Amino acid sequence: MIDDDALTGLIVDRLPDAQVSIHDRTGTMDHFNVTVRSQAFKGKTLIEQHQLVYRALKGALADGRVHAVELTTIITES
Amino acid sequence: MPEDLKEEIAREVASTRIVVYGKGTKMAPRCGFTLETVEFFNALGYPFEVIDVLENMPKREALSEITDWPTLPKVFINGKFFGDTDILEPMAASGELKTTLEEAFGGAPAAPKATINLR
Repeated sequence: MIDDDALTGLIVDRLPDAQVSIHDRTGTMDHFNVTVRSQAFKGKTLIEQHQLVYRALKGALADGRVHAVELTTIITES
Repeated sequence: MPEDLKEEIAREVASTRIVVYGKGTKMAPRCGFTLETVEFFNALGYPFEVIDVLENMPKREALSEITDWPTLPKVFINGKFFGDTDILEPMAASGELKTTLEEAFGGAPAAPKATINLR
C-alpha cells in the first residue's frame, strides 16, 4: 500500500521533470493506473520508456507496496 | 542469477513464437493482467504459450533481471521481449504488431477469431 504522493515521489526522484497522474484502480492503494509525462522519454522506444519508470518503482514493487501498475508514458517537448 | 534458469528461459522463448510468462495458466489465469493478455492473444488468432511462474520466485527474479521489467505478465515474440499489453495495445493500434507477428509466423493467422477491441 502506498499513497499517491509517495508513488509520485518515487517517479520524480528518477525523472525530475515528470508530471505524474495516478488512479487507484481498486481502492486498495496497490493497483494503479499511472500516467507519466516527461522529456526523458524522447528518442526511446515504448519499452525503454516503461523501463525508466519501472526502475523508479522497483523497490515498491519488490516489497509489495505496489502490486500492479497499468502504465502510460507520454513524451513532452522541451 | 542461476545459469540454469537463464538457460531454461532462453530455451523457452526460442522454442515458441509467442510466450507469455504470467500468473496462472491459459485456461485458468490467476491475475487480471494475465487474463487480459490471454484474451488479447486469443483475439489475434496466433498460437501462444502461457508459462505459469506464480509460485516460482527464483524464475520470476531471473525474468525481471533479464528484461529489466519488474511485473508479470511478460511477453516474448520470437525470443524478443515485448513488455505487456501496455506496450502491445499501442503496437496493435499502430499496425506495428501485425507486421511483427506476420514476420514471426511467416503470414497471417490461419483463422483469426475476432478483431481486437481497443480501448
